[in-house]
Amino acid sequence: MLHTDNNLSTIKHEVLISVAKHAFQGDLEQSVEQIPYNLIPGPQANFRCCIYKEREIIRQRVQLAQGHSPSGGQGNRNIVQTITAACEGCPITRFTVTDNCQRCMGKKCQQACNFQAITMLPNRAYIDPAKCKECGMCAQACPYNAIADLIRPCKKSCPVDAITMDENNIVVIDEEKCIHCGSCIKDCPFGAISDRSFMVDVINLIRSGKEVYAMVAPAVEGQFGATASIGILSKAIEELGFTGMFEVSLGADFTAASEAEEWYEAYKEGKKMTTSCCPAFVTMIKKHFPTLLDNVSTTGSPQMLTSMLIKKLHPNAITVFIGPCIAKKSEVLDYVMTEGATDYALTFDELYAMFKAKDIDLNSFGENKQQGSIYAKNFAVSGGVTAAVVQALKEKEADTDFKVQACNGGAECKKALMLLRAGKLPADFIEGMNCVGGCVNGPGSILTGRAAQQNRTKLLATADNRGVLDTVKQYEELGIHTHVR
Amino acid sequence: MKDINITICIGSSCHLKGSRDIVKIFERLISEHNLGSRIDLSGSFCMGQCAQGVCVKVNGELHSLRPDTAETFFNDVILKKLA
Repeated sequence: MLHTDNNLSTIKHEVLISVAKHAFQGDLEQSVEQIPYNLIPGPQANFRCCIYKEREIIRQRVQLAQGHSPSGGQGNRNIVQTITAACEGCPITRFTVTDNCQRCMGKKCQQACNFQAITMLPNRAYIDPAKCKECGMCAQACPYNAIADLIRPCKKSCPVDAITMDENNIVVIDEEKCIHCGSCIKDCPFGAISDRSFMVDVINLIRSGKEVYAMVAPAVEGQFGATASIGILSKAIEELGFTGMFEVSLGADFTAASEAEEWYEAYKEGKKMTTSCCPAFVTMIKKHFPTLLDNVSTTGSPQMLTSMLIKKLHPNAITVFIGPCIAKKSEVLDYVMTEGATDYALTFDELYAMFKAKDIDLNSFGENKQQGSIYAKNFAVSGGVTAAVVQALKEKEADTDFKVQACNGGAECKKALMLLRAGKLPADFIEGMNCVGGCVNGPGSILTGRAAQQNRTKLLATADNRGVLDTVKQYEELGIHTHVR
Repeated sequence: MKDINITICIGSSCHLKGSRDIVKIFERLISEHNLGSRIDLSGSFCMGQCAQGVCVKVNGELHSLRPDTAETFFNDVILKKLA
């Protein structure tokens, strides 16, 4: 029925499916210790040195799947956690001379090094790690490309420098710096970093008979195959026990309309502004550019406004965001005081596990429906938020003569924010998305890249041509207050 | 960093015991006492002490609350810490 990206996600999914199964059966507490033995029966190891290490990795993943710290009670509060048993402590000597070194006459590497870190061994150049300042000049200078930049994948992926190593080279994530974007989760080749889950909490609340509503992110189309329309997903999600399902693109139309007004006013005043929908981007500003907080749009994110809308319609609702995003879990924790805010956030990975655990086949449902505009659905793609805001302004017949910089990925976000802080940003507005390509490539996705894109294009081709303001007008009488802070 | 950091467990067990109600009570008291700039309130994943729920941590220290004890706790413990 479904396909996933790679082997690492298979292990993650096996654990999530197992935990979801027991949670649905109501016997998780009794079964928790058995799960590592069920998944790794032995006696042969499959992917690590021995079954004991493999079982420990599974045990730590089971902890995360229940929302706990993988290393027991002593862990920090962070959402993104190191699975210490899975971390290989990769080499951290950043610049290393490879076999390509010809021990040439020119020795441009030696000349390029300002720290006298390079000496010549009988068969190749050698970089003294104690002297190397990791400037990379030698690697640039070598005519044979013989110097490799071996930065650890997790460290390389982190846009905010939150990753360091302990004395055993095991990854440590700095809670004060981490923006929960999940890049390291996606990029660690050993699957040694993962996120805490609310999945068991959501299953427990469903089982207790509460009114639990699912809200699926605009990135959903394409994740569950080319035929999994909103209508089909809605039925499948109800089959899991949710009371109903809403599209977050519904709230995205509200966000676009509200941000259009804000941008219009800000532009008149000559004030530069950023979007507020990507929680990793907003946390990057909070933690690393706090002087720019005033420039962040006060409009609530699509998930927040969708939750408010659901709670106006159903006052006892518990709302659960389901998307490709790990940072949305932090938005839930941070905005716990906001009236009507989302109660829980899950990833598509976790939803996939719940479908598998309950043996739900998406092909057995029919019927389609649509709640948000096509512009709102494209919030999930880099440049899509801007396009939706511009569309809202056009529908209001307002001027759209401003410049927007669509920051595609954490590195671009950081660069634009540095320029904004220095007063040198040429654009009037920043669209910040921490995942390259947008939410469709989020770390909680099941499928990314071309396969997901093809599915998505097919599904979105069926969307009607309603405008951003049509959605807003439809729910006007609910009186949703779109600004939060 | 504010003077007081309160984290309330929003795991399912604490949810069923009224963690949302406690959030609302604290929110009201914080605004009544005008303490928004001194108290930070956020949610937390399951703290693993479900039997003692609703679990509330004040500057890292674990307390066991119920919706009907929340206001007294706020007045007796939190306000005292700020005094």
